Amino acid sequence: MPVEQIDTEALLNDLLRDFPSRTEKIREKKDSFLTDAVLLGEIPSPTFGEQERVRTVVDRFRENGLSNPGVDEFGNASAQLPGTEGQSSILIMAHADCVFSPEVRHEIQVGSDSMTGPGIADNALGLAAMISLPRLLKELGIELRDNLILVANCKSLGRANLEGAHGFLETMSQPVRAGICVEGSTLGRLSYSGLGTLRGEITLQVPSDYDWKRFGASGAISHLTGLINQIREIPIPKEPKTQLVFGGLKCGSSYNTSPRQGSLRFEITSEEDGIIGQMENQLNEICEQFSAETGTLVNMEVVAKRQNCGIPYTHPLVKTTRSIMQKAGITPQVDPSTGDLNALILGGLPAVTLGLTTVENLREINETIQLDPLYSGMCQLVTLIQAIDQGICEA
Amino acid sequence: MSMKENNWIDRNTFHHSDFWDLIKLVEEKEKKGLKISLCIPTLNEEKTIGKEVLILRSELMERYPLVDEFAVIDSGSEDKTLEVASNYGADVYLASDILPEVGNKRGKGENLWKAIHQLKGDIICYVDADISNIHPRFVYGLVAPLIHREEISYVKAFYDRPLNYSSGLRPSGGGRVTEILIRPLFSLFYPELSQIIQPLSGEYAARREVLEKIPFPIGYGVETSHLLDLYQLYGLETFAQTDLDRRVHRNQTTNALGKMSFGILQTFFNRLHTQGKLDRMPDLETFYRRFEVEDGNYRQLIQEVVEEERPPMTEIEGYRNRPDIS
Repeated sequence: MPVEQIDTEALLNDLLRDFPSRTEKIREKKDSFLTDAVLLGEIPSPTFGEQERVRTVVDRFRENGLSNPGVDEFGNASAQLPGTEGQSSILIMAHADCVFSPEVRHEIQVGSDSMTGPGIADNALGLAAMISLPRLLKELGIELRDNLILVANCKSLGRANLEGAHGFLETMSQPVRAGICVEGSTLGRLSYSGLGTLRGEITLQVPSDYDWKRFGASGAISHLTGLINQIREIPIPKEPKTQLVFGGLKCGSSYNTSPRQGSLRFEITSEEDGIIGQMENQLNEICEQFSAETGTLVNMEVVAKRQNCGIPYTHPLVKTTRSIMQKAGITPQVDPSTGDLNALILGGLPAVTLGLTTVENLREINETIQLDPLYSGMCQLVTLIQAIDQGICEA
Repeated sequence: MSMKENNWIDRNTFHHSDFWDLIKLVEEKEKKGLKISLCIPTLNEEKTIGKEVLILRSELMERYPLVDEFAVIDSGSEDKTLEVASNYGADVYLASDILPEVGNKRGKGENLWKAIHQLKGDIICYVDADISNIHPRFVYGLVAPLIHREEISYVKAFYDRPLNYSSGLRPSGGGRVTEILIRPLFSLFYPELSQIIQPLSGEYAARREVLEKIPFPIGYGVETSHLLDLYQLYGLETFAQTDLDRRVHRNQTTNALGKMSFGILQTFFNRLHTQGKLDRMPDLETFYRRFEVEDGNYRQLIQEVVEEERPPMTEIEGYRNRPDIS
């Protein structure tokens, strides 16, 4: 067995030895990051409208004495905890946007062992955990050699197409050893690959000069139904794994009036970029043909597109993460990401996404996080950062 | 008619953002050697108490040591209020265990009164337990004027309760009981006190040296009695008020508000008696005083409301002379 491998294992074992006592210490220090989760979660932060939440994150960075706190030209908040050597850096990212509109009452309820409210898991908790890292490291007596770069990235979800994360990585000038995306949901989540994704919106409009006497004439709802049926005829391969999801349908506003326009939102994910390309062409053809045959105006807009990417299951970063989870009694759930991880890996960084605790009603108004599992979730994050810092996760 | 009666409202009305620099505030508090106690009176508040204790303790004791002591004083909750509060690190007391020799009366005022004995602070800040959008400003916004200005001894909260955005103008006031009962009563008997924008707000901070000198109604009248008694003892200059922006809380039924008004009226008329206002009734004021806010500036609107009266018709000669009336 090579000497280096033995050292790596010994180092990791050293780190893991303290896992239970560290988890308890984190539990004792919970108030600060639970408070941040509530305060951040109660600030509405829809995609493209994250400014107030991001400003609060920067205030926290300042209050925690970090270096270079600020908001970049893309709207991301970032700051640094300088390492003792500072030759390299570790990037921690948590997205600042959430799926709820500002009209939703952003109120978090705090119980003895849980918290409930819109966006508490996705991703107020992830943000709060990221912000709390410098304090927790200090409490645990951990000094990193690397700089720790903390980023609350905006414009991550939906139509935003990871704009904030891409922008930050494009302008980042420091060498980075590895990256971790932090999500509140779900403990055990282990993403080390980004799934090829295409998100689109098809709009259908019945034109003003539409011939209502023609054979088969109807309003937008009937047309959209016909269009959806045609799209469902597209063959979807089982291998490579591919999926087509209809995520939203908007049409009509009354009981007795045929609407003249409507829209359909969908997402294609596939392990093979070529399949996504083929399906995009097929969708375009269906839309064109449908438009010609029905006399309606059909337009397909691609709002987000991501390539497949990833690091191998055997990459030391993934292996180390699995070992840490095993020690913590967490069962890894391998789950390809369609989120910020894609931006990191496509940017050439070895990176993973971790979840922090068990969650119920994800993305519902009554989204609920359990507090008890959270402390080992936080401990896995701290331990992984330390492992990266000690060079255990190098390929 | 609109006019500024005097400039108390300008000098003694604050916005919580005036005190955003908590490091400076803590320094000032320490320089003056003040100790601050925070008290939350509770009765079956398991839904909101956890968040209040978590956020206020974490932000104002651990991150910024503004508060020296944090107590939940409970009237005998039957839900998990005490368990949740102590899980998040509050000192929890049963009101009945404090000064047991004076007996136990059940009501919020009892808890506030016993807090004076139980807590050590030079300043005591009271915060209701039912605030669902709790934030550290609910405490630092109230104690800061006491830290900065020695002549102030009692600071009331007021809130943003927007009712009308469309014109840019909105009435700024309290809830229904404030607008329908308290403000008209103050306009009649204590016109100066009508400058206090939300006299019934449950959040206030005060110096021990004034709290220990006044009686505490046990029930609904406690906020009203504080204002009337301290006004009698020290005048308007002892008060200040702070805008804490929005407060989200439970809405009460009209029946509950009726009961509350009945309690407040008892307290109010007791004061009128003891302060001699009923025996030597002055001419009643005819100016009704309320508030309006525009672009963050509060101004008092004073409107003359004269309730003229006609005599009984039988006193009118023309009526008496009608052929069919005699």
